[in-house]
Amino acid sequence: MNLPTQERILERAAGPGVAVLALGLLLIILQAAGLAFWQGFVINIGIFLILVLSLNLSNGFTGVFSLGHIGFMALGAYTSAILTLPLHEKQEYLPNLPTWLAGTHFDFRLGSFPVGFLAATLIAALLVSLVALLVGLVLMRLSGHFVAVATLGFLVIIRVLLFNADNLTRGSRTFSNVTPYTNLWWVWAWALLTIYIVWRVKQSPMGRAMYAQREDRWSAQSIGIEVMPPRLFAFVVSAFFTAVAGSLYAHFITSFSPTVFYFDLTFKVITMLVVGGMGSVSGSIVGTVLIVGLSEALRRIEDPTQLYGISGIVLAVLFILIIIFRRDGLLGQREIALDRLFMKGGGTGGEPYITNAD
Amino acid sequence: MKYKIFALFVIATLFLSACGATPAGGGGGTQNSIKIGGGFALTGDESSLDLPAANGAKLAVKEINAAGGVLGRQIDFIIHDTKYDMSVTAQVAKQFVEQDKVIAVIGFTDTDSVLASGPTIQAAGLPFITAGATSPKIPTQVGDMMFLACFGDNVQAAAGAEYAFKNFGKNGYLLWDKGVEYTTLLGSYFKSRFTELGGTLLLEDSYDDKATDFSAQIAKAKALPQQPDFYYIAAMPYNVGPVVKQFRDAGLTAPIVGGDGYDTPDILSVAGSAANGVWFSTHALMDASGGTEGIKKFITAYNKEYGHDPENAFAALGYDSVYLLADAIKRAGSTDAQAIKKALEETKDFSGITGSITFAPNSHVPQKGVTLISIKDDKFTLGAEVVPEKVPAP
Repeated sequence: MNLPTQERILERAAGPGVAVLALGLLLIILQAAGLAFWQGFVINIGIFLILVLSLNLSNGFTGVFSLGHIGFMALGAYTSAILTLPLHEKQEYLPNLPTWLAGTHFDFRLGSFPVGFLAATLIAALLVSLVALLVGLVLMRLSGHFVAVATLGFLVIIRVLLFNADNLTRGSRTFSNVTPYTNLWWVWAWALLTIYIVWRVKQSPMGRAMYAQREDRWSAQSIGIEVMPPRLFAFVVSAFFTAVAGSLYAHFITSFSPTVFYFDLTFKVITMLVVGGMGSVSGSIVGTVLIVGLSEALRRIEDPTQLYGISGIVLAVLFILIIIFRRDGLLGQREIALDRLFMKGGGTGGEPYITNAD
Repeated sequence: MKYKIFALFVIATLFLSACGATPAGGGGGTQNSIKIGGGFALTGDESSLDLPAANGAKLAVKEINAAGGVLGRQIDFIIHDTKYDMSVTAQVAKQFVEQDKVIAVIGFTDTDSVLASGPTIQAAGLPFITAGATSPKIPTQVGDMMFLACFGDNVQAAAGAEYAFKNFGKNGYLLWDKGVEYTTLLGSYFKSRFTELGGTLLLEDSYDDKATDFSAQIAKAKALPQQPDFYYIAAMPYNVGPVVKQFRDAGLTAPIVGGDGYDTPDILSVAGSAANGVWFSTHALMDASGGTEGIKKFITAYNKEYGHDPENAFAALGYDSVYLLADAIKRAGSTDAQAIKKALEETKDFSGITGSITFAPNSHVPQKGVTLISIKDDKFTLGAEVVPEKVPAP
């Protein structure tokens, strides 16, 4: 093994660099054109991308199939929204907050930069990670169907908690008048960070341990790979980013109730994950863009044809076809290797390709 | 090879969404038409209310256009389905403002959809009339361009409470769906008016949204030492059938009282004759024989257009919303948003088929009477027309 030279590193960085620049250019154009609808569309892609990638980290990489992640999103959304709600709105809509919370308001800015929103998002994400750590200590000992059912239970518990913590969440009533901080830049900065982190985790020894214990727990343990640490790590990190997505969602839609964070959303995210390919970072990106884009395109077809509801049917059929003919999703576990785009000699000496194990 | 197929797939998707971007925006209107947006959840959980509302609104637009339009211009009514998905709802609001360039928006029969779309429409400074979202808090939550075409939940809950107190007795029972804002508010307004009148709630109970089994609640009600004179059940349209049927099947025969969530054909098709003895407050009785002149005319027109009678009062509310807006545009004499808003606020004794609409100063929730419907012989019949004596604060 040769150590990578500076030239090699530059070559590797060129591909992702070009992609990020292209994305940046797209965002600048959208921002300058002031097209709120298409900005909203791209923001939706970004939020779902964070959700799908973080779910991939847990479900795809470790094979511990969680159905409870939307619960983390709900916690992130509510926590950050309670924190950023301006004082006068708090008195109006959340009059029964405990005093220490009633006085906090993360609506401060540094110049025009909403530091409070960043802080609230981080606090929410860290708190949710802590919850995930506690939950994960118990649930990550389970495998297969058991973990799916247990995490589903977690989702239901969170929903019931949100309904009944009336003083904090307004219960079943819609939590409204959240300040709309979320814009293109917030979403895509977080999305890029998520992509980077998830990608790095995949290539790290921890990531390899995740794969090893997923494919064959006994063999992995027999060569000294512990099962619990990689699982727990994946669960907590993915909860962190799911909570971030929740915070972004809350400050984008600006009104929501516990009903939003339930089965519908859970399965929408899982669909994107499965269509793209569990275990593939670029698969998650493809799956998200594909499903969000297709939903929008089909919605546009509904209006002139008057075939309302057709988009749901088409998506369902597509999903079934993918499950039948490409069981591992469009990309399986393969990656579109952006880092080899500009590498001479086909990129030998780079990091090993993950090939489809099946 | 596989990569190529996949790349084609992605390109096709992007192409499709790009295609979608251009044509739908224009709608079918002429250059000079007045564009009005109609946001409705035509599919999803609210569709049994939103679909009739959208049909009613379309009928009104057709009539107005046939009669020469408003200010000599035709109305171009642009409908988008929001799928009862809040992300889509928020996007549709932006679509109305930015791509369809409408001058006003009407639609929706539920609070969540209005709150998800309202801020965008408010920020664009366009008038927004909700056909059937009955939370009286909506105008303060959204802003000064927001209007209701229907009464607030505090009004219908007070009407139900007063009627039940006088006619059924002062020992009540309250059950509500704790998963939804509408039912939670309705239940709490009912409780506040009923106890104010001197009534006692023998039991207050709740269930999870979309529950299908109410045996736990029924067991608790049956175990009461004294049986209540009536049951007030605040339920969503998709729950009313099962909850009523299960109460009756368990042998609980006292009247069941509810709000306008009961105004769906589902209650008759699901609960069947078990629905007899149900009383609920709503906007109008859609009955060709018992209704007012306006309702009879509306039902005939609706039947001619769609081949069946209006499903419920939300059809009439959609219809009224369009006429209410058209009336305001006419009086404003222009399509300027602020002028329309001012004209809407000055609306006085506008005679809609769901009742006469007047906006009191500083209120964007109309003062309207409430229709109480009684289900008898497997049919909706007019129980009473009520104007509540006192209404709980929103």
